[in-house]
Amino acid sequence: MRGFVLGACLAMTVGGSVADWCDMRVLIIEDNDRLAGLVSHGIAQHGFSGDGVGNIDEAEAALASVTYDAIILDLGLPDGDGLEWLRRERPGHPLPPVLILTARDGMGDRVAGLDGGADDYLVKPVEIEELAARLRALLRRPGTRSPPVIRAGKLAFDVAARTARSGDQAIELTRREADLLELLIRRAGAVVRRSTIEEALYRFDEPVTPNAVEAIVSRLRHKLSDADDPDRLVTVRGMGYLLRDYGD
Amino acid sequence: MFGGLALIIFVSFDVEVMLEQKSASDGWRGEWLEIAEHVVLPLLLLMVPMFFAVRWVIRTSLAPLGTAAARMDSVVGTDRGFRVNLEEFPLETQPFARALNDLLARLDDVAEQREAFAANVAHELRTPLAILMIELDRLGSPDALRLKKDVAAMKRLVGQIMMMAQVEAHVARPVPHDIVSLSDVAIDVTNRFAPLGAEQGRHVALAVEGEPMVSGIRETLAAAVSNLVENALRVTPEGGTVVISVGPDARICVRDEGGGLSAADLAALSQRFARADHANAGGAGLGLAIVARIAEIHHARLVTNPDRKEIGLLFQGVHQIAEQSDRQLS
Repeated sequence: MRGFVLGACLAMTVGGSVADWCDMRVLIIEDNDRLAGLVSHGIAQHGFSGDGVGNIDEAEAALASVTYDAIILDLGLPDGDGLEWLRRERPGHPLPPVLILTARDGMGDRVAGLDGGADDYLVKPVEIEELAARLRALLRRPGTRSPPVIRAGKLAFDVAARTARSGDQAIELTRREADLLELLIRRAGAVVRRSTIEEALYRFDEPVTPNAVEAIVSRLRHKLSDADDPDRLVTVRGMGYLLRDYGD
Repeated sequence: MFGGLALIIFVSFDVEVMLEQKSASDGWRGEWLEIAEHVVLPLLLLMVPMFFAVRWVIRTSLAPLGTAAARMDSVVGTDRGFRVNLEEFPLETQPFARALNDLLARLDDVAEQREAFAANVAHELRTPLAILMIELDRLGSPDALRLKKDVAAMKRLVGQIMMMAQVEAHVARPVPHDIVSLSDVAIDVTNRFAPLGAEQGRHVALAVEGEPMVSGIRETLAAAVSNLVENALRVTPEGGTVVISVGPDARICVRDEGGGLSAADLAALSQRFARADHANAGGAGLGLAIVARIAEIHHARLVTNPDRKEIGLLFQGVHQIAEQSDRQLS
C-alpha cells in the first residue's frame, strides 16, 4: 500500500452526517498515483477513509488483510484489466460493492461493467461530490454493511426504529409511510418505479386500489415538505418517484 | 473501326497493283467498274453491320464500368466497405478494378485510423481531466467553480468525440441488430436523466403510447435519445418539463419547452460541430450529428415538429410496416 492511507476520519469537516460513514473504508484501485491520492483525500472530506493501491497484486494483498466496505476500481491497470479481475473474483469471493471509475465510455462498456459484477459505473472525470454520493448510495443498499441510520442529505431514516428526522426535527410516520420512505431513501438519487413500490408495500393477497400508492406518496410528501424540503420527493411522470440526495 | 480502316488500306494497295496490270488492255473505265463491283460494294456492305457490331461490343463490354461508376457516385458521405464487383468486369479491365478496390480499402483504413486516433486522444484526456476536476473541487473558490463548468463542457466534448468514433465504427463494421423495445429505451433514458433534471430544477417525464419494437442496438439507441434529452434539458427553462415519448407508431421523441427546431435548422445542426447558440460555450457540438448518424444506422429518420417542440426518431418499424400492409389489403 502506498503512503496516502487516510485512516483518520475527518468528521469535523462536514458535520453530523459524516459520523455515520466514519468507519467506512474504501479501497481505491487506480494506477495514476496523483488521481488516487486526490480521490482518497476527496472522499475523506465526506467521511470515507480511502486506501490507494496501484495494481491488482496490491489490491489482492490489501483485500486479504483489511475488510473494506466498498471498492473504487479503475479498469486499465498495469498488471491486468480491472473488469477481468472483477469477473474472476466476484463469483468465489464475497467482495464489497464495487464502483468502477474509468475512462472507458463506449456503448456497451457500461453494461459490460455492470454485468461483470460492478454495482455502479462512473466515467472520468467526476466530481468528488458525485463520487461520494454514489458511494453512499452503494452503502445504502440492502445487504451491505449499511449503517443503522440511512441518510439522504439532512433527511435521516432509522431502519430499526422506523423513525425519520430532518436535521433535529422528528417526522411522524405511519407504518406504510415508513416502508415507502425506506424504499425511496435506500435508492435515493434514483427513480423507483411505481410497480416496485406497489409490490413492496402490499402483499400479493392485499387488494391495491389504483390510487393507493399516490395517496401514501402524497401524505409522505406533505410531511417531508413541512419538516424537510418541499422538493425532496419528486414525481417522475410515467415512471415513479425519486427521493433526491442533496443538501447536508 | 480499326478493322474497317485496315481493310480500306489493304484494298487501296491491291487496287494500285491491279491498275498496273490491267491498264494496258482494258483502259480506265473498265478498271473503275471492276473496282466498284468487287471492292467498294462489298466494303460498304461489310462496313455498315461492322459499325453496329463494334458499337454493340464496346457498349456491352464497358457497361460494368458505367454501373460501377454510378454506384460509386451513389455511395453517400463516409459510407465504408464499398467495393466494385470484380465478376461484373470484363477480363481485360479486372486488374484495374482490383487496383480500384485496393485503393478503396486503403481509404477505409485511413478513415478508421483517424477515428481510432480521435477516440484514443479523447480516452487519454479523461484521466488528466479527472485530476483537474478534483483539484478544482479542492480549491472551492468562485473561480474554481467557474472553471469546473469548463471542465464539464470538455468532458462532454470528449464523450461526444468518442461516441462519434464509435458510431462511425458501427457503420464500417455493422453490429448485428436485436429486436429492441422503444419503451425499454425510453425507460433507460428516463432513469438516467430524471435525477439529473431534478437537480437542475427540471422535470423529466415518460409517456408511453404503444409498445413499438424495432430492429436495432439498444445501447446505441439509448445514446441517441440521451443526446436529445441533454439538448432538451439545456433549452428548457427552470421548472419546465422534458417529455420522452414512445409510440403510437414506431417512433421515440423528446419534447422540450425551448424554441422548437425547424427542419432546416435540424438539417444544419446534424452537421458535425454545428450549434444553435454559438454564445453558449457548453453547446451541443456533435450531439445532433451523432443522433443523425445513429438514425441512419437504424434506417430511421430524424424528424422535428417545431410546433410541438419535439425531435425524434421515426423508424421503418414493425408497427409501421404492419400498418402499411393493412392499408394495401383494404
